[in-house]
Amino acid sequence: MWSYTLRRTLGSVPTLLALCVITFFMMRVAPGGPFSGNRRVSPEFVKLMEDAYHLNDPLWQQFWTWFNGVLHFDLGPSLKLRDYNVSELIAIGLPTSLEVGAWAMLLSTLVGVVLGIAGALRRNGPIDYSAGAIAMVGVAVPIFVIGPLLQIVFGLQLRWLPVARWDDSWQCRVLPVLTLALPNIAYVSRLMRSSMIETARTNYVRTARAKGIGEWRTILKHALRGAIMPVVAYLGPATAVTISGSVVVETVFSIPGIGRFFVESVANRDYPLIMGVTLLYGAIVIAANLVTDIARGLLDPKVSYE
Amino acid sequence: MAFSRRTALSVAFAAAASLTMVGMTLPAAAETVLKRGIGSTIGTLDPQVNFLGYEAWIQDDMYEGLVTPGADGEPIPGAAEKWDISDDGLTYTFHLRDGLKWSDGTPLVAQSFVDGVARTLDPATASEKNYIFSSTISVTGAAEYMSADNKGVRDPKTLGISAPDDKTVVIKLDKPAPYMLYLMNSFYVAPLHKPSLEKFGKDFVKAENIVSNGAYHMSESVPQSHVTLVKNPNYWNAANVKIDKVIYSITEDDNTAIKLFKTGEQDITYDIPSDQIEPLQKEFGDQVHVTNSTETVYFSFNLKKPPFDNAKVRQALSMALDRDVMVNKVVKGGYVMSCGYVIPVPGYDAPKVPECGMDKAARVEKAKALFKEGMAEAKMDKLSLKIETTANASMRKFGETAAVMWKQVLGVNASVNSQDRDAWLAVFTAGTWDVFGDDLIGDFAGPETFLAYMDPRAEAGYNWVSPEYEALYDKAMAITDQAARYKVLAQAEKVLLDSYLTAPAAAAPSRSMVRSNVKGWVDNPAGWHGTQFMSLQ
Repeated sequence: MWSYTLRRTLGSVPTLLALCVITFFMMRVAPGGPFSGNRRVSPEFVKLMEDAYHLNDPLWQQFWTWFNGVLHFDLGPSLKLRDYNVSELIAIGLPTSLEVGAWAMLLSTLVGVVLGIAGALRRNGPIDYSAGAIAMVGVAVPIFVIGPLLQIVFGLQLRWLPVARWDDSWQCRVLPVLTLALPNIAYVSRLMRSSMIETARTNYVRTARAKGIGEWRTILKHALRGAIMPVVAYLGPATAVTISGSVVVETVFSIPGIGRFFVESVANRDYPLIMGVTLLYGAIVIAANLVTDIARGLLDPKVSYE
Repeated sequence: MAFSRRTALSVAFAAAASLTMVGMTLPAAAETVLKRGIGSTIGTLDPQVNFLGYEAWIQDDMYEGLVTPGADGEPIPGAAEKWDISDDGLTYTFHLRDGLKWSDGTPLVAQSFVDGVARTLDPATASEKNYIFSSTISVTGAAEYMSADNKGVRDPKTLGISAPDDKTVVIKLDKPAPYMLYLMNSFYVAPLHKPSLEKFGKDFVKAENIVSNGAYHMSESVPQSHVTLVKNPNYWNAANVKIDKVIYSITEDDNTAIKLFKTGEQDITYDIPSDQIEPLQKEFGDQVHVTNSTETVYFSFNLKKPPFDNAKVRQALSMALDRDVMVNKVVKGGYVMSCGYVIPVPGYDAPKVPECGMDKAARVEKAKALFKEGMAEAKMDKLSLKIETTANASMRKFGETAAVMWKQVLGVNASVNSQDRDAWLAVFTAGTWDVFGDDLIGDFAGPETFLAYMDPRAEAGYNWVSPEYEALYDKAMAITDQAARYKVLAQAEKVLLDSYLTAPAAAAPSRSMVRSNVKGWVDNPAGWHGTQFMSLQ
């Protein structure tokens, strides 16, 4: 397994490199630049400002300067959030996004799996129908509706939780985590339900039942291990998306994470920040997929690391 | 200038008097905290670089320029207690107050103001504010100082701003700029604390390093979250600053900001979502503040593209717009219908496009007739056009409404192309547009800033040629008396409107919720709301 991990990690280097190269050259195709937003600044002076940030050097040279910086763990300055370097911005925002994302993933996995199993075991019963209803809401209602709705109910009307605030208290984490978790709860529970129904019909589960093992043991020890495979496969990319920060949740709840950088840096033509977050996002996706594959191998003896 | 200085002083007196009275009713020990919202993430708090409205609020609290925008936005004495203007209007001599200090207690000298301007003009600083000194007010030597030919050997001594002694700042201009005092506040001329810049480099603006000279100084800054300012005991007027602490929170989502206002977690919001003004007015009455800002919204026609080179076609398109329906029924959100280019300015008798007073049937009929004539002159029988707008929801609505009206009245096949701001501006620069869903944010609430921008010598992108306009503008700039100057400026605006280079649409709003216990908030188009003029009841 270790050699597999090492191979996969090394194999991800060209992927990241390709991602960087493509992003770097593609964003330069978009019209405008970081200093072109003000019409009253003369084009001559815009060019001087760009010179100050080496934006008029040949592109390959700019790429090399940037890449050389990355090798030295320096992602360059942000062109719009000028008081900070890209590395500083990521260092400040990432822990917050990670925290919210991790709680949301934990919550959605636990609740989703339990709801899914419950639905599968008591098919067409009240639990199954309510789980189905929750899933429908979670999938159909976008989080930019759920978030403000939760704010109105729990923040404005009941006054139990803060509308939008970020400090060390647990209260300010509840609504964003819930908002972020809901769609995943929906997906996970649906996946879990159908997969569990299928697994419950397989020969090895029937064998376990025939051997007289109790129902709960059959489910948890035998069926679950097989049934959870699709969920694990889904969780990898979902985790990557969730922990790298959600623009909507961070905006609605005023959370100082990195999600907003993804969108704003593009609109601002903040090239170093775009590159920084793209690189980070690529690394997170690759890492999440690697963990998923390893987990699948541990769960499923049919998966081999060769 | 005598006028604005007198107003300024009386405002200062009134503000000071009212603050003292409020002060007496407050318990002495309790710390007063004002919670203000700001829209998006702060780009930078670098005093020579920042350029956004909410950055200007923080800047205005933290730094004091030669003048200070008073509670109503009009300039009042700031670090300079008085100033002299030479008879030709080209030399301004500012006399600083005695005993001015930085927030760290060190003395503040006139040279710091010179250093600030020189830093703004240095291309290495990459400050968008440089155009203020090279074109809005033409400080002697500024354009040359900025220029590329000046590689590496920029000597501030070549600039028309100097400090002959520790208490005097002299600014020399190439052309008279009678509106100059509007641009002498901290947003444009903040002093530079050189020792901290030299010591910390670009980190000199971080909370732990920053040294400022305004009513407040920064105690904390968390990117994407908030900036906390506390009262600066070394400020010359600290005794009259009533609020001890200001927290500026980033509230990217306007709807969230309104909820925070409702739960009491925000006293002043940065904006109000355009669809919520009416319900909020019902619920909160006069705590809802909507006034026009210095942003003017209009449509520009591309003179290089037939048939828009034909004045009759342009006039027909302008006349086909039902501005009342466009602004008050479709766009709404506090936009104010506009019949001219310049935003409403007290004392400025603005000219109007003639269709504004016409009744609908006559207006439509005339538009149709003009369109027919113009199209015949241009030898075209069908017109398809594209309106370029930014992705901003209101600007898109302006474009879409115009497209529908032009289609209905003139049978023009009009479509809207909405893009992000950079892409939108790139279309303008490339000159490939037909009709540009245009806007301009004035640097202050006076006609000069708008009309200066439309001067063909300043913005070549419109391809407009008008020696008459240029002559009138120059004539106005030589007049120091505001009322007389405004008269000539109105004539210049009339020339612009008659040319139908643009079709005026609206003045954009400035919208804020202000809690009723916050005293000292005065609505003003330039949007100056210094915390030092406010108090909590």
